[in-house]
Amino acid sequence: MDSKGVLVCGEIADGQLAPITIELLGIGRKLADDLGEELSALLMGSNIGDVGQEAIAYGADNVYVAEDSLLENYNSDAYTQVAANLCKKVLPSIVLLGHTDIGCDLAPRLNGRLGGGLAMESMALSIDPATKLLVSTRPVFGGNAHATVLSKTARPQMATVRPKTVPPAERDDSRQGKVIPVEDKIDPAAIKVKVVDRIKEEVEGVRLEDAEVVIAGGRGMGNAQDFGKLRELADILGGAVGATRVACDEGWAAATLQVGQSGKVVSPKLYIAVGLSGAMAHIAGCLGSKYIVAINSDKEANIFNVAHFGIVADHKEILPTLIEKFKELKAG
Amino acid sequence: MSPVSATYWGIPGYAIFWVLFIIAFGLFVQRVYVLLRLMSLGKQENRFGRIGLRIKNMLFEVIPQWCSLRSVTRKDLAGLGHALMFWGFGFFLISYIVFIGLAEGFGLHAVLMGTTFETVYASILDIAGVFVIIAIVWAAIRRYVIRPERLEINVEAGVIMIMVFSLMALHFCIEGFGIAGSGESAAWPPLGAAFARFLSGTDISQSTLTAVSHGAWWLHYALILGFLVYIPRSKHLHVLAAGPNIFFKPIGPNVVLEPIPLEAIEDPEGTEAFGVSKIQDFTWKDLLDLYACAVCGRCHVNCPAQVSGKSLSPKEVIHNLKEHLLEAGPGLLAGDTGESAKGQNKTLIGDVVTEDEIWACTTCGACQEVCPVGIEHIRKIIELRQNLVMAQSKMPESAQLMLRNMQSRGHPWSGAQSLRLRGDWTQDLELNILSPGDSAHTLFWVGCTGALIDRNVNATLSLTRVLKAAGVDFAVLGEAETCCGDPARRAGYDFQFQILAEENIELLKSYNIKKIITSCPHCYNTMKNEYPLYGGDFKVVHYTELIANLVSQGTLKLTKELDAIVTYHDPCYLSRYNEVYLEPRRIFQDIPKAQLREMERSKKTTFCCGGGGGHLWIEEQPGTTKINHIRIEEVIETGADTVVTSCPYCLQMLEEGIEHKGIKDSLQAKDLIEVVEATMK
Amino acid sequence: MNIIVCVKQVLDPEIPPAKFKIDPETKQVIPPPGVPPVISVYDERAVEAACRLKDTHKGNITVISMGSEKAADVIKHAISMGADDGFVLSDAAFENLDSFGIAYVLSKAIEKIGGYDLVLCGRQAADWGAGQVGSILAEILGIPIVTLACDIEAADKNIKVKRIVSDGYEVLEAPLPSLVTVSSEIGLPRLPAGMRLMIARKKQIPVWTAQDIGAEASQLGTDNAHTEITGLSVPDRKTECEIITGATSSEAAVNLAVKLNELK
Repeated sequence: MDSKGVLVCGEIADGQLAPITIELLGIGRKLADDLGEELSALLMGSNIGDVGQEAIAYGADNVYVAEDSLLENYNSDAYTQVAANLCKKVLPSIVLLGHTDIGCDLAPRLNGRLGGGLAMESMALSIDPATKLLVSTRPVFGGNAHATVLSKTARPQMATVRPKTVPPAERDDSRQGKVIPVEDKIDPAAIKVKVVDRIKEEVEGVRLEDAEVVIAGGRGMGNAQDFGKLRELADILGGAVGATRVACDEGWAAATLQVGQSGKVVSPKLYIAVGLSGAMAHIAGCLGSKYIVAINSDKEANIFNVAHFGIVADHKEILPTLIEKFKELKAG
Repeated sequence: MSPVSATYWGIPGYAIFWVLFIIAFGLFVQRVYVLLRLMSLGKQENRFGRIGLRIKNMLFEVIPQWCSLRSVTRKDLAGLGHALMFWGFGFFLISYIVFIGLAEGFGLHAVLMGTTFETVYASILDIAGVFVIIAIVWAAIRRYVIRPERLEINVEAGVIMIMVFSLMALHFCIEGFGIAGSGESAAWPPLGAAFARFLSGTDISQSTLTAVSHGAWWLHYALILGFLVYIPRSKHLHVLAAGPNIFFKPIGPNVVLEPIPLEAIEDPEGTEAFGVSKIQDFTWKDLLDLYACAVCGRCHVNCPAQVSGKSLSPKEVIHNLKEHLLEAGPGLLAGDTGESAKGQNKTLIGDVVTEDEIWACTTCGACQEVCPVGIEHIRKIIELRQNLVMAQSKMPESAQLMLRNMQSRGHPWSGAQSLRLRGDWTQDLELNILSPGDSAHTLFWVGCTGALIDRNVNATLSLTRVLKAAGVDFAVLGEAETCCGDPARRAGYDFQFQILAEENIELLKSYNIKKIITSCPHCYNTMKNEYPLYGGDFKVVHYTELIANLVSQGTLKLTKELDAIVTYHDPCYLSRYNEVYLEPRRIFQDIPKAQLREMERSKKTTFCCGGGGGHLWIEEQPGTTKINHIRIEEVIETGADTVVTSCPYCLQMLEEGIEHKGIKDSLQAKDLIEVVEATMK
Repeated sequence: MNIIVCVKQVLDPEIPPAKFKIDPETKQVIPPPGVPPVISVYDERAVEAACRLKDTHKGNITVISMGSEKAADVIKHAISMGADDGFVLSDAAFENLDSFGIAYVLSKAIEKIGGYDLVLCGRQAADWGAGQVGSILAEILGIPIVTLACDIEAADKNIKVKRIVSDGYEVLEAPLPSLVTVSSEIGLPRLPAGMRLMIARKKQIPVWTAQDIGAEASQLGTDNAHTEITGLSVPDRKTECEIITGATSSEAAVNLAVKLNELK
């Protein structure tokens, strides 16, 4: 097993490195340094330009660039093919991907093809000083517990990391590195699944992932109309609306607004949880918030165990006054 | 002289008499025959048990008019009017048979007329006639002038009133003109004779008077025959159908749901006709119900869904079903199938009864309680739900969530498990929690709400303490208890109910349980009235019955003062379904200084809290207001500061109402057992 | 269209967090007493997806579940929803397998069943949530895969799948046979209709052992694991929650607004 080095499977957004990739390069650099090995990056796309150099500036020693029209937008079969072939050549010891639309699909497939060991949604990554193995910590049972995972022999050791979990790498344009084009041609016959359409859902206001304030509602909102009132509060505070899986199941909020283990993980400054009990599967999505506020009529609700502030009352009695007071404070 | 013995335009009166009779009677019989055949479209049902009791019930309801009199309230005296009308008309009916049928039709005029018997009877008729006129005029004023909500302004009612009034008027004309025309002076019958004296004082000749009398007689006869033809073709069909319908009323529980026979349906992909999706899926008794309806509207104004502005009206449901039977029935009898057949392009669920109407019902039973002719509204609604849920998989999403939870977790409270587990309430209590192999005589069956929902767990704990203090020996199932199945059954998911019932009965039998104490009237009703059909025969008591007993015996002494003005909200499933309403009041009687103020709608006329029929979970449809808010208004009206109830659903709904109105500081809701614990020694 | 659905029986995710207990020695969860296990949330959605396809295209749905013999309950649940038959895969050799091991066992069972057009899985298990079995399984079977489906439509020789992405969704076309992992956005699973509840109850679910499906020991066992769990802990999450009060609810709301305004 001659595997060496850390490989980051990067993503490109708007002609630049995606923020998640910069974060992965940050943690990747640290892991590589702990191992005393090199950090590489793989960039796939159709018109990559100077992005390779960017990756070097963020810490990569080698950047493998695969350019092909078939790679313009994410295609599972094409990307898996390219990444797997590269890994079989380069034999990295560790492969890191973002826990993103791309990473969630690519990582398990890549792992399956290469026969490595994968820990999805890792919250913490480190190298065990004694064994030199990658140790990942990931949430299990809806976030109720944390498990540490490692792969003794299977290679590569893989992990996906959620955006904003680890600090981004520092940019240093003076860094030196190699940009290596990937020569292998993609076999079109191996591309079985085709993307036929892409539909963007128009979201009102700020994007959930970027919002500094999130107002989330759950089962306790009761109906679509009352749920809609959260929008008002979000607008006053310049934030986004989120929802628990139950609220989405009920049709009160679009699936893209789901916060939780199977939805989005957000870490705003302020997270106001209204009418939701705080089941772990949802909490897992907001624990990174600076301040969590709970408004729930049940004083035993679990949300009060993780909140910093709370009011034990029915949201119908609190929201209108809260909205009015915030309006006042903003104006004054 | 007898009117039929004369000759009219060369035709003997007898001939006219009989021809008219045969035509009218023929039309009457033909129509009744069609109605009976339509009724035969319905499925079989055995309502023939306990014939003696049935006869007794029917005679008592009909002849002394208990069916009408029991619905009389201070605001609605119409039942009294109906009783007068009924008795009055009863006398007339006899007179038609004797003095028209026998005397004229069968030529016994000479034998019967002019006799003392005739005079006496005619005098009785005079009085009866006055009563009928008073009743009919009163009815007309109510319906067309006062216009109470429950009475419809329609042509049919008007026609019947005019016919009845005319019959009475003509009767007096026959008498008055007849006596005057005969030249004899008579003292009896009093009104007829008085009218005759008046007529005699006019210039009208005797022959004219007699002619008018005969004319009135024929008109009267024609009108009676017309009525005969009209009865089975109008809402007056209730005259024929009400008696039999009352005869076939359920003896025992008032909502009769038969277990669905599992062996009968083998093919999994076959047309699974569960519940009711076509008019012929109802039983003949259900169809008889439709005939018995007099469109009195009492169910309509007492239905909590209707009163709170939902589209459901029990009256409309019954009316629409009847119309549909009359429209589509003949085609079905003829074997026509397919959508082109008249009326069959209408779907029962959707066109005749809408899904909204089906789901709005809380199964409170007010409609059945107040119906004078014994119509069973509730089971029709539940059977329609059975079809929607079990055959079509169509139901409101809130119902689906609740039923899925029943399936996977054995209780209706989705998400409640995130807060507490079934057996949590037993923590730190010294209780006899049964484990396999144990045996116990009495079991305290807690119920899902009492075990899982915080507010109601307080009541459960309270009851446990009271039972212990009173020295009652009881066991509990703890975490092994699952739902009695009531929410699934009321929501139409009868198979899930059956599975739960069978499993529960097996479990209870394995512990040799003989007596079950419940705190939830729904568990109470289900286990007492419905489990026997699945093999579960236990003595089931609600805690109010038990506590009332203990209080009467002196085992439990309530000695502390109750510093509150209370009103008691009777749960539908306890007071109306099972007639347990004296026991809670018995308890209050013993509490020192207890000020119990009754709401107008209490005991068997209690107004629903809105939580029954699965509605503690199924979202209430939009209306003008919410059912529990109406009830809270009634509570507030009493001036009480505490509303007490003995049902976990009611407690939840009342507390929601109090919170909604923001009056938590002036009104609180309590479970009766909490009051008992607070006042016991 | 013949569909095979892989389902897993898991600890009920709806237990109160306070009841969630682990044994750090064995690295297992200790299930609280009296709480029956349930079908994994996403696997139930996969069954629902299969049933929706069967609603419009004739075919057969077979459900397999690797677990203890109690896993027959989740198979019965799937049958009550609309599946036709199922098998429990139970063997001592199947315990404590990692994602590769699980995918291998499922693949052997699937090969034994054969004749399938579509394999459906949940996107991840509601307990350990590794989220890989579907992808590895597709790789072993050598069939295309689409992940995170919220809708599946069948056409003649292929399927059209709507896939969830963070700002909307994609529509993909995949040939048959393929594997699709299903997410909760597909909607609420159906309530079992009438007779199906009773049929499922009575059905006998066969149990297949390692031998029955030809699973080789060389692929199973902890020595062959690609990943192992070296530790399990429950993080200490309790915060000091400051409950904001007031004479009335309105006052409390005002106090909260003021407090939060100070923070920002």
